[in-house]
Amino acid sequence: MATVEERVKAVTGRVLNIDPKTMKASDNFAVDLGAESVQSVELVAMFEEEFGIEMDEDGALAVETVGGAIEFIAKVCKEQGVDA
Amino acid sequence: MADRKKNHRLVAVAEPNLLDETFDYDLPPLIKFDGPIIEYIDGEPIEFDPKSLKSRDIHITDTTFRDGQQARPPYTIEQMVRIYDLLARLSGPKGVIRQTEFFLYTKNDRETLDRCRALGHTYPECTGWIRAVKGDFRLVKEAGLKETGMLTSCSDYHIFLKSKMDRSQAMATYLEVVDAALEAGVRPRCHLEDITRADIEGFVLPFVDELMERSRQVPEELSVKIRLCDTMGFGISYPGAELPRSIAKLIYKLNQECGVPSSRLEWHGHNDFHKVHTNAATAWLYGCDAANTSIFGFGERTGNQPLEGAVIEYIGLKGDLCGVDTTAITELADYLRSIGLPIPDNYPFVGKAFNTTRAGIHAGGLRQDERIYNIFDTTKLLGRPPKVAITDKSGTDGVVVWINEFFGLEGEERINKIKIHKLARWVMDQYEVHGRLTAISNQELEAKVKELLPKYWKKYKAL
Repeated sequence: MATVEERVKAVTGRVLNIDPKTMKASDNFAVDLGAESVQSVELVAMFEEEFGIEMDEDGALAVETVGGAIEFIAKVCKEQGVDA
Repeated sequence: MADRKKNHRLVAVAEPNLLDETFDYDLPPLIKFDGPIIEYIDGEPIEFDPKSLKSRDIHITDTTFRDGQQARPPYTIEQMVRIYDLLARLSGPKGVIRQTEFFLYTKNDRETLDRCRALGHTYPECTGWIRAVKGDFRLVKEAGLKETGMLTSCSDYHIFLKSKMDRSQAMATYLEVVDAALEAGVRPRCHLEDITRADIEGFVLPFVDELMERSRQVPEELSVKIRLCDTMGFGISYPGAELPRSIAKLIYKLNQECGVPSSRLEWHGHNDFHKVHTNAATAWLYGCDAANTSIFGFGERTGNQPLEGAVIEYIGLKGDLCGVDTTAITELADYLRSIGLPIPDNYPFVGKAFNTTRAGIHAGGLRQDERIYNIFDTTKLLGRPPKVAITDKSGTDGVVVWINEFFGLEGEERINKIKIHKLARWVMDQYEVHGRLTAISNQELEAKVKELLPKYWKKYKAL
């Protein structure tokens, strides 16, 4: 089974049209990966769908980097009893 | 000049200071003063107390059916009766809108007046408007009116160039008509046409002295009123401006030097230089109790002081609604649109988009707390909740505000941005992919909500 990191990168790659292999944990969604306002919202929606979780809107949209998203999603999965 | 430099320290606070003593969301923002105003007149410093506005009987008068009709095809009798009825509701029991004036020349004019009076409203009181012609008093008397306006133009442009008289002839003619009015038991309201382009010391003050002399000879209810007509919108509100354009000096001279009480002074402005609203409020400030207005500013050329603007200003100065029913402003606008009068979308208080925001960043503010981008509680005072219009600048914040408003969701029930991402994407693609250049209509968005967000549609709309 793919790890949280692999799944986060795969979703990010799909939404932003980027090769997941080129992504680093320190990449900033907006500055390094070019995510625009609507794409940030789409990323959060796609993460929810991929992991079967509900995220707090403000908390999720405040996450800036790929590594931050991996950490945030792993924590939400744990809180909501979802296997990640 | 003294060195007035000061150091200013940041005041860090735990709670925001929203200045709600001034910006009480339930009222238009209050207009507060923290000291007197000094105006130099004839070299002397004269003090005016703006705080007196709270206790003075300042009020609004209306010329919708007179100057307002000079700017458009005539209203029908039914239309005028309906407008009058709404003006009465807006005015409230204290008569904030004190009077409105009617032409008296045609059968329709007189029938309109009769039908308006038959409604039985105390305010606005119906008054007349006639030329400065003695024979016209028959019309005023027959209509049973207590007061009428009459043209007493006072600039040399009007006296010499229009009326082909000299000043002595003009004054004699006007006084003859005033005498006829007083004799007929009708209170004359002398409209000092073009006063902001007149010789104040050489004609206006001597003429008003004569009017005051006549007023002293008659009962108070007949004493002459003075309307200062800024016919071409030349009036200036700034302290230090010169006569004849200085509103402060004009009012001071009539009020203090000629002795016309504030209760008998009225300002009538035009908007040729975009100054009409501030000029009318300035007249209130310096001692003129009445501001003459017309609904939505409809009047000759660029129009008059908008009545609804004066009402909002009045509330801001008084700090209280004073019995005014502000929702009648919206009804007046809806009614005028229904009879074909155009009101621009961005027109304050009543335009279709007056409290509609388009920028996503503003919509984001509205989403958090509507007070951030709404002037006052427009839902309560005007029946108009703040709205967002969807364009390429709206962003997801704009779309989410629109959709919550569309479904009527508040508080915890509100849908968040994440849930509407498909609609936000569709909006962005309209502009980025399809090159759209127009705003997206509510009807288009509604159709897309049904298609892209069927779960919410079913929950909130298909009930």
